[in-house]
Amino acid sequence: MVSITLENLTKMYGNTIAVKDVNLQIKDKEFFVFLGPSGCGKTTTLLAIAGLIKADAGEIWIGDELVTSAEKGIHKPPQERGIAMVFQDYAIYPHMTVFDNIAFPLTISKVKKDEIKERVKKTAELLGISQLLNRKPRQLSGGQRQRVALGRAIVRRPKVFLMDEPLANLDAKLRVQTRTELKKLQLELGVTTVYVTHDQVEAMTMADKIMVLRDGLVEQIGTPDDLYNHPSNTFVAGFIGSPEMNFIDCTLVEEREKLCLDAKEFKISLPAETFPKLKSYIGEEVIMGIRPEDIYESKSVKGTTQDNAVKMTLDLIEPVGPFLLLHLRAGRIPFVATVKQTRAKLGQEVVMEMDFDKIHIFDKKTAKAIL
Amino acid sequence: MRIPNPRRIFLYILLIFFAFVFLLPLWTDITTSFKSIHDIIYTIPVEPPLSPTIEPLITAFNIMERPLLNSLTFTAVATLFSCLLGSINGYALTKIRFRGANTMFLLFSIGIFLPYQAVLVPLVLTMSRLGLYNSIGGLILTHTTYGITITTLLFRNFYGLIPDSLIMAAKTDGAGTWTIYRRIILPLSLLPFVVVAVLQFTSIWNDFLFGVTLARGSEAMPASVALANLKGTTEVNWNVQMAGALWYALPVLIIYLVLGKYLIRGYMAGAIKG
Repeated sequence: MVSITLENLTKMYGNTIAVKDVNLQIKDKEFFVFLGPSGCGKTTTLLAIAGLIKADAGEIWIGDELVTSAEKGIHKPPQERGIAMVFQDYAIYPHMTVFDNIAFPLTISKVKKDEIKERVKKTAELLGISQLLNRKPRQLSGGQRQRVALGRAIVRRPKVFLMDEPLANLDAKLRVQTRTELKKLQLELGVTTVYVTHDQVEAMTMADKIMVLRDGLVEQIGTPDDLYNHPSNTFVAGFIGSPEMNFIDCTLVEEREKLCLDAKEFKISLPAETFPKLKSYIGEEVIMGIRPEDIYESKSVKGTTQDNAVKMTLDLIEPVGPFLLLHLRAGRIPFVATVKQTRAKLGQEVVMEMDFDKIHIFDKKTAKAIL
Repeated sequence: MRIPNPRRIFLYILLIFFAFVFLLPLWTDITTSFKSIHDIIYTIPVEPPLSPTIEPLITAFNIMERPLLNSLTFTAVATLFSCLLGSINGYALTKIRFRGANTMFLLFSIGIFLPYQAVLVPLVLTMSRLGLYNSIGGLILTHTTYGITITTLLFRNFYGLIPDSLIMAAKTDGAGTWTIYRRIILPLSLLPFVVVAVLQFTSIWNDFLFGVTLARGSEAMPASVALANLKGTTEVNWNVQMAGALWYALPVLIIYLVLGKYLIRGYMAGAIKG
């Protein structure tokens, strides 16, 4: 059982906060992703778990061992934490052969020669790089280097994998391919993994759980499904999902016993069951959020009489292959919608419906989700 | 036949001219070294000798033999020490971010600009107290200490190019500070070692001031001082002086010829990141 627990982890660089008060629980065998834009503190958190930087406050537990505690002055060195790390630039030793690179952690910990040979061989087979063992890193392609780095991590049989954007330096096609392989490998080895990335697609596809960070603060922790369907604030809502969620500034008003979102250019009324959650916001400014796939062309000819329908002008159609990206406008408010097909022509007015169940409402002042 | 570009022709003429100007003193040195006093009087310096003789070379070598050996010894040892210490310093300053590393580096940099003359008196006092005045050991210590400043700067700049992730990877792999230095940093710095060592060797070999201050007229006299002594007081033996200069220039010349290609690669190393 190798779980990882962070309690109030804080790291400062001078007066700048790198990460503040991170609390989280990573379960055994879980694939846990730290997601956020650059400079959000995700790598800092990872390095703190690795023991490569000292925390300024808080505790880190790996399994039932306290490895970092700023308060108690505990800081176990990286090699005593049972971790293995993969870096964005692979960090393989340029002067050593692939064999020596993979064997390095074993030679350092004075494993017997025969065993080293055996383990390096097995690892290389697992990763399909057996034929490269005598090569030097400069003779390898990016993808091969990445495997060597992975091999060096696997060979030590660590309790935890820490990966810092390991796919970022690969080209697009290879990245997708390696993503799948990496996930399979993790399932096969069953090792608890912490993975840092700024790529939300990577996070969504690979993670069991995701922590979204911004400016050193935790924005949300949850499963990919949670984050996508129930983002806790506008940042998470906007960061996850592509194309991005539509955000519209509205005022919440009560009209004829019904709650309405008034965006000046249009108005939609909300179903009655939302009333209890929203009633305290009546008269307040809110942000409505709706994902492009939750807007669709109205089938009814009646059009705008429906509660959830809005008249829009079609500005542009972008075919993306499996679907079409419609750039629409309701008055001056821009919308993006993804649809399978459309009969509408550019410049035409279309009636678009919004899926009520998928509408998000955020408090404008705090950016936090209300609904 | 392809007609060469006139600008190219001009460039070559210019380059040949400058090469000629730079090589002329060496040529003069060589011709004069093989001349008897008679030939020196009857020929101009750039002319080849009328009846070549190796007499001056032998005379000069007999006088310079011991000083040359002295110089070779302390230059080699001081070069090795200053490079090794500079490399360790550079590693510590870039990869072990200890408190006060920048201040430390600033102090090292000041050392580079410290004029030799300013330290002469305290240097002599220190060396005589240590019992190292007039000794090879004293010269080794002085040149090593003085060399550390510049070698530290050079190695620090080179190690700045080695990505930190490499060090972090080695740390997670279980390597300690010294193991990382020995197994990662040192093997990666062969090229800068050659460059820095050649620079150090040349500068220590060419030093006159420390040599003349710390070991004049002693068993430990460096070659640079012995060469200056060749000029004599009552007569001027041009041929012996020139022959001495030839002997003196030889080691550095050999080093540049042997290590020249590494030197150029080393200078370029910073330009292309592997």
